Amino acid sequence: MVVKNVVCPVCGGSCEDIQVELKDNSITVKNACKMGNGKFQEVVSEHRIKDPMIKKDGKFVKVSWEEALDKAAEILANSRRPLLFMGSETSCEAQEVGLHMGEYLGGVVDSNATICHGPTCMGIQEAGLPTSTCGVAINRSDLNIYWGTNPLASMPRHMSKYGLFPRGYWTKRGRFDRKVITVDPRKTDTAVASDLHIQLQPNSDYELLNALLTILNGKTPHHSVEQVTGIAISVMEEMVDMMLEAKFGSINVGLGAGSSFGKHRNIEMALNLVKELNNNHGTKFRIGALRGHCNVAGFNQIATYLYGYPFALDFARGYARYNPGETSCVDLLREKDVDAALVLGADLVGHTPADSAKYLCQIPMVCIDIAPGPTPSGADVLLPGVIDAFECDGTFYRLDNVPVYFEPFTDSPFDFTKSNEDTMKQLFAKVKELKEKA
Amino acid sequence: MKFLLNTGSTIDEGRLAKGGNKYSEEYKKECAVCWISPEDFDLLGCPEKVKVTSTDGRYSIVVNTKCTDRVMCGNIFMPRAIWSNVVVNPWTFSTGSPLYKGSPVTVEPSDDEVLDAEDVVLKLYYGGE
Ligand code: SF4
Repeated sequence: MVVKNVVCPVCGGSCEDIQVELKDNSITVKNACKMGNGKFQEVVSEHRIKDPMIKKDGKFVKVSWEEALDKAAEILANSRRPLLFMGSETSCEAQEVGLHMGEYLGGVVDSNATICHGPTCMGIQEAGLPTSTCGVAINRSDLNIYWGTNPLASMPRHMSKYGLFPRGYWTKRGRFDRKVITVDPRKTDTAVASDLHIQLQPNSDYELLNALLTILNGKTPHHSVEQVTGIAISVMEEMVDMMLEAKFGSINVGLGAGSSFGKHRNIEMALNLVKELNNNHGTKFRIGALRGHCNVAGFNQIATYLYGYPFALDFARGYARYNPGETSCVDLLREKDVDAALVLGADLVGHTPADSAKYLCQIPMVCIDIAPGPTPSGADVLLPGVIDAFECDGTFYRLDNVPVYFEPFTDSPFDFTKSNEDTMKQLFAKVKELKEKA
Repeated sequence: MKFLLNTGSTIDEGRLAKGGNKYSEEYKKECAVCWISPEDFDLLGCPEKVKVTSTDGRYSIVVNTKCTDRVMCGNIFMPRAIWSNVVVNPWTFSTGSPLYKGSPVTVEPSDDEVLDAEDVVLKLYYGGE
């Protein structure tokens, strides 16, 4: 049977138009991009983690669900300062249980949201966010700017669904009604497909944004900015002209801005540029983060409404504290400041720098995942993950912070858990049992 | 030679990672790679493999090279994966996010073996000390 309107759980695009036909040992997928299709094939893949496992003498041994869950609960309950890492490839509902468990244990709860667009969140806290949903961009934007992002690789359908090709109310001719500027030190496929490619030097986003703001205010920036950014002032002026000619511009920032030198200050400057365009120059702009991971936006949303902070929540004092650089996962691991970890739906060992990854492998770690990889290899207890949007229902937040409710097209392959939310709840109950006994 | 390291996604990195194939040969072929500009590639002596060393000199990783004009002189690019993250600068400048883009690194030709993803975990991280 063909199931329509399935939500894709891979990147922040949360495409909701996927068609799926599941047969005994195969799955046919329509509308998904290469990356999305890769994950859909996981439903029938050979390498799926199907059994709960515990590492004994350096080797994984299959155990019963109860035994694995007991061991996982023991690790967390015995820890003085556990790190609970709620990855993005799962629902808000599962992440919420993690946040409550972190509060109960007095641990730290963090997410991909930190190592992804954490600095973007901090920039927004500094300067406010002049934004809109992607729907507005589809209908109105005649200029699209990709700043420090290569959506053709990180959100492959962004250009066709939101950025470049879609036909909207005031953009009836799609691509023909739009211009595209890409700011990237690399000549990416996105840059090649753009009308203007600003190939800036890495770590010079702040200077370039400042120079654009200066030009916007009718002045000429100091010539040294050409050397710092590698961009001629005449090219910057061309970019500002394109921005001023636009009726409605949409800026999509990627990690190029937030992950390089300057971090949240780069974002703050970009937000100030947008405010200046909106307030004083007769044009309208929106800005939004291009969120490469599935439900990172969701973690920011629920952590903020439950505890007041978007990421890096430290519950050691019984209430939430937020101090990125101290209470964020890469820093905690680098400084060896936690003594156990729970990693749900994220490859933390593969995607943090060596010092942090190495320490994570050395402390007791519980991992909930679907396929082999560096984090499962480094774990002490491995619990099979359920694939959200394929095998259970729940909520993701899309890149523009729009909640998307998803329904499954098949069931959890396990009789011991229905979803990652279910696993987290079972684990939390065990942890409480142990704590109360002690 | 000193370079600025840029890391990021490639479409096949995404396809393989999301498809749960992080321990496959194909993933290693796509991700254990350092993109170098033609000028810098010449200066390095057109090596097949290079050793990339982190800013503080404490971590190194050997990867294959790809000579391409997609990166500018003085920069290298590595797909985001375990190999590149070994040498990414771990300091977060009080934001929680390490320097995935723009980490200063050193690159030199190498004849050493390119480790599989699993071996990076086992040899470098797991009981590596
Ligand atoms: S763009 Fe993202 S959400 Fe859409 S199909 Fe591709 S991976 Fe899935």
